This record gives sequence, structure tokens and C-alpha cells, in this order.
Amino acid sequence: MATRKKVLLKVIILGDSGVGKTSLMNQYVNKKFSNQYKATIGADFLTKEVIVDDRIVTMQIWDTAGQERFQSLGVAFYRGADCCVLVFDVTAPNTFKSLDSWRDEFLIQASPREPENFPFVLLGNKVDLEPRAISSKRAQQWCQSKNGIPYFETSAKEALNVEQAFQSIARNALTQQNQTVDLYNEFPDQIKLTNTTNRNSNGDSCAC
Amino acid sequence: MEESVTKKFVHEESGSVTSLCGAVEACLSQGLRRRALGLFKTSSTTALLHKIAKHSPEAALISKRVIELENIDPNRRSSSSSDSTTKPVLMKNASLQNVNLLPKYLWIRLALFEKQLSRIIDYLVSNASKYYDKDALVADPDYGSILSSLLVGPCALDYSRTKTADHFWTDPPADELVQRHRISSSHSTPPSMRRPIPNFRRSLNASSEDSTTRCITQQDYVESLHQNSRATLLFGKNNVLVLPAKADQTEPMPGYLSLHQTASCLTIKWTPNQLMNGFTESDGLDKSIYWDYALQVRLDEIVYVHCHQDVETGGTVILVGQDGVQRPPIHFPRGGHMLAFLSCLETGLLPHGRLDPPLWSQRSGTAKANNKRKRPLPALVENEDEPKDFVFRIIDNSNHKDMFKRHELMERHSHLPNKVRTQLGSSSTSSESSTKSFSIDQNGASEALSNICIQAVCDSMKRQIISRAFYGWLAYCRHLSTVRTHLSGLVHNNIVPGDNADEGLSEQKWTELFVDGVLNNADEVYRLTYYGGVAHELRKEVWPYLLGHYKFGSTLAQREELSEQTKQAYETTMSEWLAVEAIVRQRDKETQANAIAKLSSESTSGEQVPPQIQRDLSNDVFEDISDYDYESNEEESNAEGDDKTKRPKKTKQNTVIYDGSDDEKQQIHTNNCTADTNPSANVEESETKDNETHKENDETRLTNSVLNESSDTNRNADEQPTTSKTHKNKIEDNHEDLQRFIGNVIVTNPSVDMTNLPVDYQHTKVSLDALTEEGGSSLDTLDCLESHGLVSPARSACVSPASSNGGVYSPELLETFGLNLHRIEKDVQRCDRNYWYFSGDNLDKLRNVMCTYVWEHLDIGYMQGMCDLVAPLLVIFNDESLTYACFCHLMERMVENFPNGNAMDCHFANMRSLIQILDSEMYELMHSHGDYTHFYFCYRWFLLDFKRELVYNDVFAFWEVIWAAQQVASSHFVLFLALALLEIYRDIILSNSMDFTDIIKFFNEMAERHDAQAVLRIARELVLQLQLLIENK
Repeated sequence: MATRKKVLLKVIILGDSGVGKTSLMNQYVNKKFSNQYKATIGADFLTKEVIVDDRIVTMQIWDTAGQERFQSLGVAFYRGADCCVLVFDVTAPNTFKSLDSWRDEFLIQASPREPENFPFVLLGNKVDLEPRAISSKRAQQWCQSKNGIPYFETSAKEALNVEQAFQSIARNALTQQNQTVDLYNEFPDQIKLTNTTNRNSNGDSCAC
Repeated sequence: MEESVTKKFVHEESGSVTSLCGAVEACLSQGLRRRALGLFKTSSTTALLHKIAKHSPEAALISKRVIELENIDPNRRSSSSSDSTTKPVLMKNASLQNVNLLPKYLWIRLALFEKQLSRIIDYLVSNASKYYDKDALVADPDYGSILSSLLVGPCALDYSRTKTADHFWTDPPADELVQRHRISSSHSTPPSMRRPIPNFRRSLNASSEDSTTRCITQQDYVESLHQNSRATLLFGKNNVLVLPAKADQTEPMPGYLSLHQTASCLTIKWTPNQLMNGFTESDGLDKSIYWDYALQVRLDEIVYVHCHQDVETGGTVILVGQDGVQRPPIHFPRGGHMLAFLSCLETGLLPHGRLDPPLWSQRSGTAKANNKRKRPLPALVENEDEPKDFVFRIIDNSNHKDMFKRHELMERHSHLPNKVRTQLGSSSTSSESSTKSFSIDQNGASEALSNICIQAVCDSMKRQIISRAFYGWLAYCRHLSTVRTHLSGLVHNNIVPGDNADEGLSEQKWTELFVDGVLNNADEVYRLTYYGGVAHELRKEVWPYLLGHYKFGSTLAQREELSEQTKQAYETTMSEWLAVEAIVRQRDKETQANAIAKLSSESTSGEQVPPQIQRDLSNDVFEDISDYDYESNEEESNAEGDDKTKRPKKTKQNTVIYDGSDDEKQQIHTNNCTADTNPSANVEESETKDNETHKENDETRLTNSVLNESSDTNRNADEQPTTSKTHKNKIEDNHEDLQRFIGNVIVTNPSVDMTNLPVDYQHTKVSLDALTEEGGSSLDTLDCLESHGLVSPARSACVSPASSNGGVYSPELLETFGLNLHRIEKDVQRCDRNYWYFSGDNLDKLRNVMCTYVWEHLDIGYMQGMCDLVAPLLVIFNDESLTYACFCHLMERMVENFPNGNAMDCHFANMRSLIQILDSEMYELMHSHGDYTHFYFCYRWFLLDFKRELVYNDVFAFWEVIWAAQQVASSHFVLFLALALLEIYRDIILSNSMDFTDIIKFFNEMAERHDAQAVLRIARELVLQLQLLIENK
């Protein structure tokens, strides 16, 4: 593992529209909060270099559209994700209720190797706002029922807990990637496959 | 003459030389003053040459030679004797004989070969006035000098008679083809038994006509023995002895043996030395007899090859045909030539035939194999003492028909690899054997073989080039068929020119087109818009036409009626969903309260309550009430805050109404309001007035309030027909409305919260009482509150006194609309709030339009992105109902892009094809990154018609061009815009070899920074490019 030059962690942020996915991403990467964000259409991502356990890794954080109808787009973006961040709005109960479907949808579309152990992180955003509709306890409960997902209460506006949350996300993603790479290493054919393809294409061009 | 550029010399008989001479002749003849100069000969230019010979030394030289040749000519024709006393003067040009046979353009040819032509023309040009008419080409100061300078190039070339290895690049002269045909045909018929005359000798340059023809025949035949375009030379050996079967010749004759491979078969040729080029011993004898000896054997007629190997003399090969008849024995000199011949033969037979037993497997095999085989070939062991005989059978592996068919189809590429291998193999074998040989003519043989080798390599290169060209052509054909089958639907067939349309639909053009309130010339409007856009001031008027809301040719009255209807329908729909909204809000409050109650119960009780029970618990009324209180207060404060700004406006509005009309009109106006005859007319009237008087931002706010007020009044009129018709009463009406509003809340609340405690009532009453007091004290505040009623749930509940239980509406409907409503609110709040137009209350308008659309299209529902599509329309029209109507038209096309439609996948597929056709390099890059072909980076572009990619003014420009393009050039113009965006940054994309993620990021970062006009221009060019590609059938 140590020989790998560049570690790229792909992180997907999911959650209902308006829970603050774009804001969280921008707060973490650009240290800025703006109330001018528009509804995300399609997908966007930002990258940030972070140090996890003395290793420099690049996090590629994907921000997606919040409306569940746009999930069909997901498959292109979810593929190869190392960690999935679920976000809800602590003042909007509905956004909490749909967490299950977001999680299921992700597991279906991204189809990771071990769905049970795939790292999710739950963020309860907008804790700066009142009144709260979802208590910390209830969120914790949900996390426990899902194989102990880490839970953070954040405020993208106040930059509360955002850094800590994403550190945890990065660490979980890195663990996941190491496991995945280990898994792939059991199948050395993979590398050969690309070589063969190259050779074939060369052969084709020669034949004409 | 292009070939001359690469070769530096050209064959004299090349067709291009003739055509060049013809062209020069034509140039010189044109405008020649024949009469004045007394040039009456058939070839007037030749006469001209003689004429100028006096003044020009070059012309004199050529003139002299022409005369000489003309003198020789009759001599030759008459002379049939072998004695050629008059040899051609120009020995250098052996072809002169030939020229004499074809005397066309004689002097021009001569001058060209002597490299004097350009100088002669130069002389003619500089003295044109003497010989030519004024309007002649040569006399023209420009064309004349161009003509002479053009000929400098051809004059710098060398012209030769000898054919070179690559002469097949040139077009073979017709006579050569004829002669070749003669040779082959003469051998297919039984040759005559003429006895050769041994001492019949004659030089090649013999001057009898007969021999001249023969000479050509011979030369061409010899040339045909070389590698040429029709046949590949596989083997060649001189001094091979053959005893012609038909001749009574007793001694074998030496000759040149060659093995040729043509597309259809292998051919063995043997030519007596007497007929070969370099054979000079014989002179003065008719060699026609030798032609009968020459052999030409098609290998597909041969079944057996008998080989007799003799250590002393070399080897003999006898070919036996299908009919069992033996062909004349071919005797090879010593030095492994027979083996070389056989190996070449074997490889030449591949892949469709072979020798049985195989030649080389014997070699590689050991003694065992030799024993096993009946007639093993001792290969390369000529110094073996025992002479040996072998028989090989030629076996045809392939179905001949198949093979010929394939050849006919010119599918050379399928054979090519084999052929190349064959040739290379054969040449290497030959050279190999030649180096091992130690015969007398070793040097000559190896030279010939190395020539063959080089020729084989050249030939294989040539074939590769041809096959590449063929592949290129094939790819181009496929490419075109892809274009036609897949992409022809993307653009219109007829190309509408963009002449004088650069400025687009300007004010001036508009006044020309918009006559008496009628816009007739739809095509011109579309054309101008497509090529130059619409002037910003005109957009409000033009866009409804472009979107199909207004019909071209409609009168002002018709349009007003349409607007009226639209407005009315809009109002009706709005009142419908406003009612539902009220209920939804009521429900929301309940759920919110429940959730908060749950939260507080959790936090206070500290023990776990099962979620199911939690959901039903709603006993914590305090939270509920405080929540409600909070909202009411907010409303109040809003009203108060607005009061300051609102008050003057309110007055203003009143003044407008009163000032702008006399009392009578005001009376009518009020009547309209209350009698409910035409409510929207009233609304429109006041709104129009507003628009006239207030141009500032806040104006809309006022419109809102007016709208609400009047519609409110109408409803009141419905409910209470006895309401007095005075303005004062109207205000009282509002007051009463408020009373009912308060009452309603009080009434409905218990029904909502069944479990609410009486305390709830108290709280509600207190807060509402305060509200009532305040409302009663100030009518203006009341008005303002009313104006806000549009978004106030209580106010809506007043209109539709259904309780939050749903009343007449099904729970499903309520739930669906409620869900949509929340989404709309979330997105409207976030939509372009930094754009000046939406900084005020115009977001409410946006919300109204959006909700109306969703209410009317609940099956479609709200989808993210719709707000972005409404916003630019609203900015242009600043009119809810018109925006709504146009948005509906816009959505007819756009709705397919949203997740439940399939247009997006089509867009991606089309993008893929378009890139493949119009930018193959980009396509290669995308192809190399597998994921790239998803084209998701275009998703937002297509979903919103590039709305998020551009600043507002550019969005306007893009949109109107997209709409106009549907009529002018392409109904898929967005594809070309997308392609243009890629093209603009193609260098960046290619040089960075961007992958899927890179390009998404790149374009997200570039959003709102594009050069919109450049993108539009490129997109239009791309459309044209594709149109031309498809048109070019």
C-alpha cells in the first residue's frame, strides 16, 4: 500500500434537497458559507487534500441533486465511492425519514462489495437553527440500527463540527479503500486485462 | 504532371505529356493572327514556330529539328528495307520514332523535351502584338506571362523513354495494352511452326515500320515481365534453357524465365533471349519467329511438376497439364535455381494452393522423413552425387469461385497480409539461394534477385498504402452512412441563409415586420432571431411568438383576448391551489408540532418511547401554540414592516385610479369588482396602470396587493351579494374578512388538534385578539395583511373553509401537492436570489407560477430545475399569467429532459454521434476514458437549456436562438450548443486529456463565464457543417 503514489478518496454526499449538502461541502473545502447556493442540478464535486494518519490523501467530494427523482443519475456518480455521507436537516423531520431510502438507494446503485460494512457517515445539519425536530438521541438510535454509523451534528453556517465530521469521513473512506484494494489484489488478472486490451487494439491498427 | 514532382522525370508517352502539349497548342492557337501572318498550314502553330525561328534562337533550334524529322518520316514510311541509312538525328530520344507515328503536337513535344518550350512561349508572349490579336490569351499581360512561367516547371523535367520500376504509377499508353493483349492471345492459339532464322539480326532501332511496331511490342512485352501493377514478380532467372515443343528446333534456347502472380493466378513465362531488351547479338533479322517460342503457362492449368535434378547441368522442370500434355521442359542452370524456382512457386501458390508433397517440410525433416516420403527433395544438396527425380502435385485448396468472387470484389485487404508475406518470403528465399549459388551468372542473378527484393518491398508498401486508402475510404463511407442514418434527423435539410441577419431582430426590423399590430412574416422573424437574436426591449413582445403562445398573423384584439383568457384561467387555477395550500400548511403545522412534541417528550421523559407511539403523541400543546404564536407574530411584524413602504404606494394606486379616470369610470370599475362580471379585466386594468406609472422594483408588490384585493372583493361579492358598492364598504368588507379569518382559525383549530387542551384556546385567542385589535385600528395594516393573504394560510382557509382534515380533497391529493409545495418553496427561495429581479418579492411570483403549473400537472409534479426555467421568462415578461402560459409551451419540449422522460438519453447518444462525426480527435479522447461517454457533464446543459451555464443576458440570447432554430435549422440546437461549448475549450480538454470528472469540474467552474456569442456562432457553424455533410450525397 505504501507504494501507491496518490490516494484518491471518493465521497458522495446524499440527502434530501435543501438539507445543506452543497453548503457542507463548500464549508469544508472552501471554508465559506453562502446563502446564495442554488438547488444543485446534476452533480458537482470539489477536491481537498487532507492528512489522514500521516498520509496525504485527496478527497473528491461529490455533491448531488437532492430530489429523489434524480437518483437514476446516481449510478454514474456513485460508482467507485469510498464513503457515503448522509445528511439530514435537524429541523425538518421528513429529511430524517428519507435517510433509509437514501441509504438503500446508494447500496443498490453503487453496489459495493460488502454492503453491510460499507462506510456511511450521518450528518445532522443546521443545528444552529431552531426549533429542532430531530433529537440527537433519535439520530444516534438510527445510526446504531445501521451497524454503528458515526453521527455528527453540524452547522455549515457556523462551521460547527464540519472539520471533525469530514476527518472521520476521510478516515473511514481510507479504511474502505485499503480493504477494497486488498480484495482486488487477490485477483491479479485485473491488471492483465487492461494489457490485453491494449495489445488487441494495437494489433488491430497494424492489420490495416 | 504531379508525378513529376516526386519522380523528377516523366515518361515521354505519358498521357499527361500529351495533354499538356494539347493545352499549350490550344493556348497558342487562340487568337493567332493566321491571315496576317500567312499561316495557312494545317498546323498553324508549327508554321508560327518556323516564322519566329528567324528571331528566336530557341525556336530556330526546334524548327530545325522538326524539319529534320519531317524529312525522315516519309523516308521511313516508304522504306520497308532493313537498311536504315538515315538514323534518327535525336538519338537521345529514342521515342522520336514513336512521335513520328503520333505527330500530334510534334514541335511542342520536341521543345518540351529539349527544354526550350518555356523560352519560346516567353518570346511569343513578349512579342505577342506581332502575332496575336489583342484579346488573345498570349497577348494578355497577365495570362501570357503566367503561361510561360507555368511551363518553366515542365521544362525543368527530364523526359525519358525507358520505363522504370515504378512506371506503373503512370498510365500505360494504349498501345502497350494492345500489345500485351496480342502476346497473350497469340499464345493461346496454336502457334505456327515457323522455323527461326538463326542469323536474322537487326538492331532495335531498325527503321522499318514493321520492325518499329515489333520493337514496341517487344519492349512492352519485356516490360511486362517486370514487376508491374497487374502482376507481382515472384521469380526471375535469365539463361534458362527451353526446347520449344512446337519448333523443329533441336537445341534448347536460352531465355528469361519468370514467375508472375496476378490477382487470379500464377503465370510462368519464358522469353527467348532474342526478344529481351539487352540482347544485341542478333541484328537485322526478323524476330517474329521467336514470339512463337515464348512460353506462357497458367499454373492453374498445371497439375504435376516433374523435377529432374542433375548434378552436372542443374535441373529440369517439366509441367504437366490437366490434359496430361507435357509443357516444354525448362532447364535451369546450375546453382540452385530450380530449387529457388520451386520454393517461389510453392509460396506463390499459397494460400489457395500448395505443392504435394510440401517442398520445405522435407527439408526440415530428417532422414526418416525422407524415407517416409516417396520422392523427397534433397533440397540444397545439389552436390549430392545421385541425380534424383521428383514429382509434385499442385493441389488447389480453395474453391475457385470463391476466390474469384473475392478478387472481383477487390477485397484486397483480405489477401494482403498473405501476399505481403508471400512476397517477402519469396524474395528472401531467392536472395538466400542466390548467395549460395555459384553459377556463372551469379552476379547477374543476385542483382536481379535484389531488384526483385526491392520491388517486392516497394510493392508491399504500395499495397499497404492502397489498403490504407481503401480503409480510409471505407471508414468515410461508414461515417457518412452513420451521419445519414443517425444524424439526418438532427438538422433540417434546407439551409436557410443568414444574409443580412447579423443584427438580428432589431427595433428597426421589428417596425418593418410588425405592421398594424400584426406579425405575419414568421420565417423572417425566426431567421433574424436565429442569426442575430432579439433586441432586449423587444423580447417581451417577441418571445410569446417564438414560444408559440401568440400566433403569427394574429391581431392585437385577438392577442388581448387570449391574454384575457390566460389571465382568467390562471386566476382560477391559482385560487384552487391556494385553497389546498392552506390545508397543507395547517397539516404541516400539526406535524411540526408533533415532531417538536416528540423531541421535547424525549428530552424531558428521558426514557425510550417506541417510535410508533411517539408519532401519535401530540400532547405537548404548549409547543404547538408557541409555534403558532411565533408565526402570527411574524406575520404581524411583517405587516408592520411593510406598512411603511406600503402606505405611500397604496395612496399612489388610489390616485392612479381616481386621477386616471373620471368618477363614472371609477363607478364602473367598482361595479365590475363587486358584480363579478369580469374580475380579471379589473385586475388587468389596475395592473396595466401600475405598470405604466411605476417602473421600479416595488411595483410588483403593489400589483400583488391589488390583485389580491380585487380578487378578494370578487369572492366576497359572491358570498355576500348585498355588499354595498362603495369603496368604503369595500374596506369594511375587508375588515369583515379579517373577522372571519380570525373566526376561522378559532373554529378550525379544535378540529385540527383533537387532543388539544383548553389552554390551547386561550393562547390562540389571546394572540389573535391582539391581532384583531391591531388590524381594526389601522385599515392600511389590514390591507397589507390582506395583501399578504396570498401566502397566509389563514387567509386561504377563509376562501375555502375546509378544515385541515382535507374536506373535499382526497388525502392523496393533499399529500402530493403538499410534497410538491415544499420542494417548490425550498427551490424558489434559492433561485437566483442574487439576481436583481429576484431580490425583492418577485420570488413570490415565481412561486405562484410554479405552483400553478404543478397544480395543473400534478402527474408530472415539481422537479428541480423547473424554477430555473421559469425565472428568465418571468424576468422578461414580469407578468405571472403570460409567464405561466409561455412556460407551459416551453415545458412541452423540456419535460422530456426530466428524469421521467427519455430525451436525456437521446441527447447523450446524439452527442456521441455528433462528436464522432465532427471532432474525431475529441471522440478518441472520450473513447479512451470509458466513463466519458456518459456525457453527464452535459446533463445540466440540456436539462435547463444552459440556464445555469450563463449569465442572464446570455440565457436570453441562447433561449431565443434555440426556439428559433427549431424552425430555421435544427430542432436539436441544444446539441450543437453543447458541441460548441466543447469545441471552444477543445484545446484545453485535449491537452489535459480530461476525463469524466475533470470535465465536469471544468465546466462547473466555467459556468457563467462563457463567451455566449462565440458559442452561438460556432453552434450555427456546426449545424451548417452537418447540413452540408448530409446534403453532399
